[in-house]
Amino acid sequence: MNNSVQFAAMQSARDDLERRTLAGINGDLARLIYLASTRDYNSGVYHHEGLAARFGQEQAREALQTAHCDTFRRLVALPLQALVSELEIYVNVSREAPDGLIHAWRELEPYRVAIPMEMDATMVQLFLSNIKLALEVLELRQKLSQESPPSASLQPLLGR
Amino acid sequence: MGGAGVTPSLAIAVAAALLLLWLLLRTDADTGDQDGELHRDRTLAAAYALPPAELATRIFSRSDREFIVHTGSARLQRLYCSERRRLAAQWVRRTAREVNRIMREHRLASRAASNLNAISEMRLFLQYLELRLLCSSLLLLIHVFGPHALADLASQTGQLYQHIGRVLDNVAPANAMNSSGNSAA
Repeated sequence: MNNSVQFAAMQSARDDLERRTLAGINGDLARLIYLASTRDYNSGVYHHEGLAARFGQEQAREALQTAHCDTFRRLVALPLQALVSELEIYVNVSREAPDGLIHAWRELEPYRVAIPMEMDATMVQLFLSNIKLALEVLELRQKLSQESPPSASLQPLLGR
Repeated sequence: MGGAGVTPSLAIAVAAALLLLWLLLRTDADTGDQDGELHRDRTLAAAYALPPAELATRIFSRSDREFIVHTGSARLQRLYCSERRRLAAQWVRRTAREVNRIMREHRLASRAASNLNAISEMRLFLQYLELRLLCSSLLLLIHVFGPHALADLASQTGQLYQHIGRVLDNVAPANAMNSSGNSAA
């Protein structure tokens, strides 16, 4: 009984997290980064003030952890092309210049920190490998778009 | 004359068997090194892990390869091939390790069992050997031909079949016409 009450509370926390926070974030990759940012680097424990205040510390922690794992699983299951689109959305949403972001991600590999703990080793390797490939594809697209002359439809916009 | 032809074939067969044995032993050696990693908190990992078949579909995905080929970048294609080769080999070794672990657990449990069915046990052991052989063959194919070895070999076989068909058509057009005439009749 106690367990089912706890599970229901965790589920409510999870629904709340999905509805109020994650729904407002564009793309699963951005959601993954956000959820990883709620985890303490030293202890690996998730924390969210608002959720903890409403549903309790433990329920909030579990809701964040399960949402993180779910999001990671969805990203690993994506075809490479779809992951490139996810990365493109993330680059567009961030306020960084695409070249700078791609360079930083390739050099520093910050996406490694976004992986949930205790995940299947092959899934982790597939994710890392796909992100590496997606970055290369995006860089190639960037180069091609810089090399090709701007299209007629974009010229008035660029002139503004 | 026949002996001269048999000797190279025998040498190839022995070499292939030795290579398979080496790969089999190699996956066994990996088992010992990474047992600790495998025994880490399994509960969460198991709950969110993709099923092995789905993971294999993703690693060996044809659409991913086509997507990379369409970029037209040779560098990207090389990177994709080396990444997938590494991942595919890792997936096969992991599958082999998991099967080893399951069999080890089963063996330990069997020791305590009083009513073992010998036929079922034998069948299970043969299936285990078959899986290990498949894993070793897959590793060999991945090492030699790349991550899409089976699909590539199948497509090459198809192309070769079509080529031989065309050659035969050219060599004996009269026979081909005869056979089509017969089938029409």
